[in-house]
Amino acid sequence: MIVEHINITLIILGRLCNKKRVRRPANFKTIKSNFRDKSDLRMIRVILSFLLLFFYSVTKAQIANDSIQRLDEVVLSDVKLKRYASGFKLKVLNDSLLKKNNSSFTDILRFNSNLYFKENGYGMVSSPSFRGTNASQTAVIWNGININSQLTGQTDFNTINTTNFKSIVIRSGGGSVQYGSGAVGGSIHLNNTLSFTSHFDNTATLSYGSYDTKNVSYLSSFGNEKLSLNIGLNYIDSENDYKYLNTDERNENGAFKNGSINANLGYILSEKNVLKLYHQSFIGEREFSGTASTRSLAKYEDQNFRTMLEWSHLGKKTNSKLKVAHLQEHFKYFGNQNTDNYTFGKVNTYLINYTADIDLIKHLKFKPIVSYNYYEGSGSSFDDPNRKEFSTTALLLYTPSPKWYYGFNLRQDVNSSFDSPLLFSFDIAYNVSDAYKLKLNGSKNYRVPTFNDLYWQQGGNLDLVPETSYQVDLGQELTYKNAKLNLNAFYINTTDLIQWQPNDSGFWSPDNVDKTQNYGIEASLDITKRVNAHQFSLQSNYAYTVSEDLETNKQLIYVPYHKANINLAYAYKRISVFVQHLYTGEVFTTTDNRFGPLYSIDAYEVSNSGVNYQLLKTNSQQIDVSLKVNNLFNTAYENVAFRPMPDRNFNFQIQYKF
Amino acid sequence: MKKIILSIFAMSLLIVSCSNDDDGTTSEPLGAYEDGIIVSSEGGPSSIDFISEDLTTIENQIYFNVNNEATGVYLQSLGFNDDKAYIVVQDGTITVVNRYTFEKLATISTGLTLPRYIAFEDNTAYVSDWGDGNDTTDDYIAVIDLTSNTVISTIPVSEGPEQILEESDKLYVSHKGGYNVNNVISVIDTSDNSLETITVNDVPDEMFIDESGDLLVLSSGANQYWLTPAVITDAAITRINLSDNSIISNLEFPSGEHPSLMTYEDGIAYYILNNKVYSLADNATSLPTSSLFDLSTSYAYGLSVDDNQLFVTDASFTGNSTLLVYDISSGTETNTFSVGVGASKIYFN
Repeated sequence: MIVEHINITLIILGRLCNKKRVRRPANFKTIKSNFRDKSDLRMIRVILSFLLLFFYSVTKAQIANDSIQRLDEVVLSDVKLKRYASGFKLKVLNDSLLKKNNSSFTDILRFNSNLYFKENGYGMVSSPSFRGTNASQTAVIWNGININSQLTGQTDFNTINTTNFKSIVIRSGGGSVQYGSGAVGGSIHLNNTLSFTSHFDNTATLSYGSYDTKNVSYLSSFGNEKLSLNIGLNYIDSENDYKYLNTDERNENGAFKNGSINANLGYILSEKNVLKLYHQSFIGEREFSGTASTRSLAKYEDQNFRTMLEWSHLGKKTNSKLKVAHLQEHFKYFGNQNTDNYTFGKVNTYLINYTADIDLIKHLKFKPIVSYNYYEGSGSSFDDPNRKEFSTTALLLYTPSPKWYYGFNLRQDVNSSFDSPLLFSFDIAYNVSDAYKLKLNGSKNYRVPTFNDLYWQQGGNLDLVPETSYQVDLGQELTYKNAKLNLNAFYINTTDLIQWQPNDSGFWSPDNVDKTQNYGIEASLDITKRVNAHQFSLQSNYAYTVSEDLETNKQLIYVPYHKANINLAYAYKRISVFVQHLYTGEVFTTTDNRFGPLYSIDAYEVSNSGVNYQLLKTNSQQIDVSLKVNNLFNTAYENVAFRPMPDRNFNFQIQYKF
Repeated sequence: MKKIILSIFAMSLLIVSCSNDDDGTTSEPLGAYEDGIIVSSEGGPSSIDFISEDLTTIENQIYFNVNNEATGVYLQSLGFNDDKAYIVVQDGTITVVNRYTFEKLATISTGLTLPRYIAFEDNTAYVSDWGDGNDTTDDYIAVIDLTSNTVISTIPVSEGPEQILEESDKLYVSHKGGYNVNNVISVIDTSDNSLETITVNDVPDEMFIDESGDLLVLSSGANQYWLTPAVITDAAITRINLSDNSIISNLEFPSGEHPSLMTYEDGIAYYILNNKVYSLADNATSLPTSSLFDLSTSYAYGLSVDDNQLFVTDASFTGNSTLLVYDISSGTETNTFSVGVGASKIYFN
């Protein structure tokens, strides 16, 4: 019967593939086609740079202005993330940070946010946890649409290549009303931006690092008043055969390679109409490393394709937007890569979405969204299930004064497979003063059963209902000169958690069994300081998280009580250096909350450091070389039991911008 | 002095009460885990626990404690031969340890793919192996030379070889069917590796040699309710005459009943069905209509009998499992122990 474990592991594994290097163009272009007046344009530019700095944390009311709204519609792929989230904590990782870090998506988030990751060894399956929730309660949103796997309900962060994303936004707290299933603990937003200023920028990057890791990427961005085009290509290949510290073993069978294309096109048809096309392809092949005591011959192949066409119509009182999208996820799992035998799963998602931004009366905005999704799956472990989903959403925004912001949102889905609950959320922001803001939000969220949960043979359970969760989150934001402090306290109560366990017939089967509660606090501090040509910055996050099963009162597995990180950077003229440090507290790996090597993983601290030097800098060209040392102190650590992480390793990068 | 007396006492208990491969002539203790109960757990993480024979003490994760490394996932079964134990792990590894100290002696990995159970004859071990689980035609019995600890040959067999036992220079292999359904017992003559098969009900798994030297087989019956049309067949306990491989009796269960755990001691087979324990004597001509007693387990996953005591694991796959001990004559639960994750096999050392 052990063999059923394999199936379960597969179900849980979800998606796998390689890791990627992150780069993106640093420049942020504004649009002028809609703005005839030069002073208007200048003002927009000023506001935009301001926005770039505090992208989402600024209350909309303060900068409300019709031109801005129009600009947002043209430039941004997900306007509601900016406009309908003032009562939520949003953290923006912009492209300059992503580029500097030259790290996998998992590492960027581990070192720069409160998110905790379970990574099955470097480059392997990587699943996030937000405020103590699990990976299928964390939604990943690509340009406004949910891309979590329909098979596993989660996104493997090592199958996301961040090349060419303009920004990554971490939205804490429930977001199911706006972003659908899985936005329970929070959501991660990958955003592309299209710029309609006249420009033609290129960036080519080559890097080589330990374990024979090669990465090449090329980004190109072109724009004029009518047309905007950007494309990013990335390829990475690594033996990934790092040494397991304190043993004589290496990470056998852990090699990976992947390629991705990210291409986006915008065309201004007329003053009132804009067409945009977004596309992302990811093709990856990974060996699946074993554990320190279990060998593996497994291999996993991923193919993900995402395409979205968007038509925006800008009216006087109403902006409307029509989106059609096709997503495809496809995996193949080879238990033994020396054979041709594999299992697979594949889902096509077709989506059509219409939304409008309507100024009802002064200070009151209304945004209805209607959406139809059709999912069709196929795979070795089920026949050809499909699911139809129709959803209606209403977002209301009331800003009676620059000090106050109120949001109230409702959503109801109608689903061909199960009943969906009525969802709501509210958020309030109050600017007590320029230096102090209060934010409050509450919501009811859900996570729907996946194709695996419903149809897996054997065990799939057609009687499942969505997991539902209530939560409340109170945030405070203090700003003083160049320092900003965020403090949040949250509470989440989840029922009907879907869990796979042996049923009466002895088969593993999912059921709506568990009830959990999560609560905790989060703090983040950002300080930047410039003294003449010297620039210093400090950025730090800390989270205390309790996540417990309400029946046993035990902490859930793989949720650290404490997690903290700190990033220090210093730049002087052409040289910049950084050091980052991560602390992850002890986690339990079995539900008994016992301590010991078979039941828990020790806390660990790991540091990275890097230096960057501008070899050449002219108006039109720039060459940067950088060296990064990961795991500076050669610490032996694991973040999943018996899966050691890499020893000290190096990465050298050269980047040419022209 | 007290210790020696105790150990002599324990030894004598062992000789009297246990079926033991040890010759029992040594008087010095052979290791910390010489006398007692070994429970193996699939994981992950997999582990091996030791409970003293008098059921007073338990030591969890003994392999880890001794060798400071984990056993792999998923730990399928153990085999005992002379002074060694063989830990069969599904990733294709067999770890050889001293059965009394659990010190690691060797690892066998080349030539194994998805091993399940191990049996011994003289200086040779035979391991049932599914090959690639998705391939119905590559299943085999690996033949291992126990001096060099290497796979020296393989014997191709049909889909999903599961339990394997050796009797009078013949190997009997129950073909549970792996990811599929099979319904044969392979009989392999170890002198020339010639193969015969005996057809039984679907999904044969547990096997024992009874007091008369006949082979007792529990077949669970197919239960593939998710297929269209569903494939559901009857379970049975089959008794086979090993002199001519003929079927002496085939006691079929009513449709819908799929027992999967059976153990055997002194002329009586014990099996679990719907959380109840039933007994079947060697001379029975029909299945029992009433049970011996009820189990308090939520997921009975391992079963063994020793000295009129029934050992059952109640498996958890997210935390520790429980081992329950029942006195068969009274049907009362006498002891419980916290054992590893996915506890599945109980052995008497």
